[in-house]
Amino acid sequence: VRCQLYPPQRALQASAVLRRVSDEQKEPLASSSQQQFDSQPTDHQPEKEPRGPHPSYTGQGGQESEDYESEEQLQHRILTAALEFVPQHGWTAEAIAEGAKTLGLSVAAAGMFHSDGSELILHFVSQCNTKLSELLEQEQKLVQLGKAQKKPTDQFLRDAVEARLRMLIPYIEKWPQALSILLLPHNIPSSLNLLTSMIDDIWQYAGDQSTDFNWYTRRAVLTGIYNTTELVMMQDSSPDFEETWRFLENRVADAMNMGNTANQVQSTGEAVVQGLVGAAVTVSDAETSPAVR
Amino acid sequence: VYQVFESVAKKYDVMNDSMTLGIHRVWKDILMHKMNPSPGTLLLDVAGGTGDIAFRFINYVRSARERQLQRKLKHHQNLSWQEISESYQEDKFKSLGDSQVVVCDINKEMLKVGKQKAQHLGYSEGLSWVLGNAEELPFDDDKFDVYTIAFGIRNVTRIDLALQEAYRVLKPGGRFLCLEFSHVSNPLLSRLYDLYSFQVIPVLGEVIAGDWKSYQYLVESIRRFPPQEELKAMIEDAGFLKVDYQNLNSGIVAIHSGFKL
Repeated sequence: VRCQLYPPQRALQASAVLRRVSDEQKEPLASSSQQQFDSQPTDHQPEKEPRGPHPSYTGQGGQESEDYESEEQLQHRILTAALEFVPQHGWTAEAIAEGAKTLGLSVAAAGMFHSDGSELILHFVSQCNTKLSELLEQEQKLVQLGKAQKKPTDQFLRDAVEARLRMLIPYIEKWPQALSILLLPHNIPSSLNLLTSMIDDIWQYAGDQSTDFNWYTRRAVLTGIYNTTELVMMQDSSPDFEETWRFLENRVADAMNMGNTANQVQSTGEAVVQGLVGAAVTVSDAETSPAVR
Repeated sequence: VYQVFESVAKKYDVMNDSMTLGIHRVWKDILMHKMNPSPGTLLLDVAGGTGDIAFRFINYVRSARERQLQRKLKHHQNLSWQEISESYQEDKFKSLGDSQVVVCDINKEMLKVGKQKAQHLGYSEGLSWVLGNAEELPFDDDKFDVYTIAFGIRNVTRIDLALQEAYRVLKPGGRFLCLEFSHVSNPLLSRLYDLYSFQVIPVLGEVIAGDWKSYQYLVESIRRFPPQEELKAMIEDAGFLKVDYQNLNSGIVAIHSGFKL
């Protein structure tokens, strides 16, 4: 049973974000997965070694502070520290090893993670999603306080997707590698989860109150827009990715028009298929030519 | 135990090959892959007399280092001449990237065979050979990145002491890896395995090494050794976290891994 711990732990990161986000909103999709994940935290309790009077995390202190945090927190710290080495080493166990070194741990600590760097990428994605949520939350507050205008839906979507994709810019060279790892079978549940929760987020803040089929349509369309824009960004060499943002603008405009036609269901299917085909083609290109940039 | 290995030392490798039909090489390779050491790792291989793990480690780190250097070269396309020349000077003598392995064994004969093998195979840098007892290691605290003990821990009288010593000499974040014969869960395989162990292995021992008794001892010590879960509990008692094990060949051999966190 202990050997099985890897999948639940990876899922734990995703679920932590899910829970934080869905705490504020009720989402039909997320709540069912919440029930699955809620059972995991209780399994995690026996892992904490009871050392010292009170499990409070005291920061960079000395060796002792490591005993006071759970393994999961330590893993998060290592992964966060590892991110700065990604441009140099890629999304690999070596980047994680360098990250561990900066925290004063042995490089062997990277052995705690999968050797393909999956956890590092998932950690990064969930961090970006959290940052996006916070950004959207702040914007919403400003609107509520009357300090800013409420944006029209297409503008809102464009800004949200652009903000989220800009977080990839420091790692853009190695991002194709990350995408192909995220598509590996053992990572798909987690990466799909993170993707859907992010799209949910954006729509929620965009003011989507629908409870009918439109809910699925909107999610699928935005997912398609996000994925295709991400892929375009991989191959974009224009200054500050102007072409990507223009592409995004066009796709969002298309989506708005799509919503006005009678064939909503069919368009959803097409958008999803387009997104997937585009993804498959670009990823296979990315895999065969690793030194694209 | 000491005398067993004294007589066994010279024929150790040959016997390993014939007993396990060469699969022990695969097991050790899997151990190395699981360790996935990056250049700059300091490894302590306990009870590693003839150096199998140590040589694999050096090979692995060498190729990892080559890949690292190739990647650096790709990056260098954007650097100034000054920076490139500086980095060439650093990298020139570091084919192993500062990685080192210390082979520690309680038995002089095993170490001797190991040193001879190293010379014969051309391994010179990054290797040290130390005489020592796993229950009381002659090293300072917090020194090593990885501690391995391959097919050695069942020969230790006080396993808990060896585990405590392992914990002591590892750096924070360091990893403990143990490769050892273990309990076969599959009943059919278990019977075949017993048959093979008790009938075939001592005979091989007599024929190849001229020593029936030592190999009889070997097989019995394997049966007496605690099974996977028990060993895992012992490792946790020594203070290691994130302990788990991986069965190879459905339990004939298991790799236990723990971290000092």
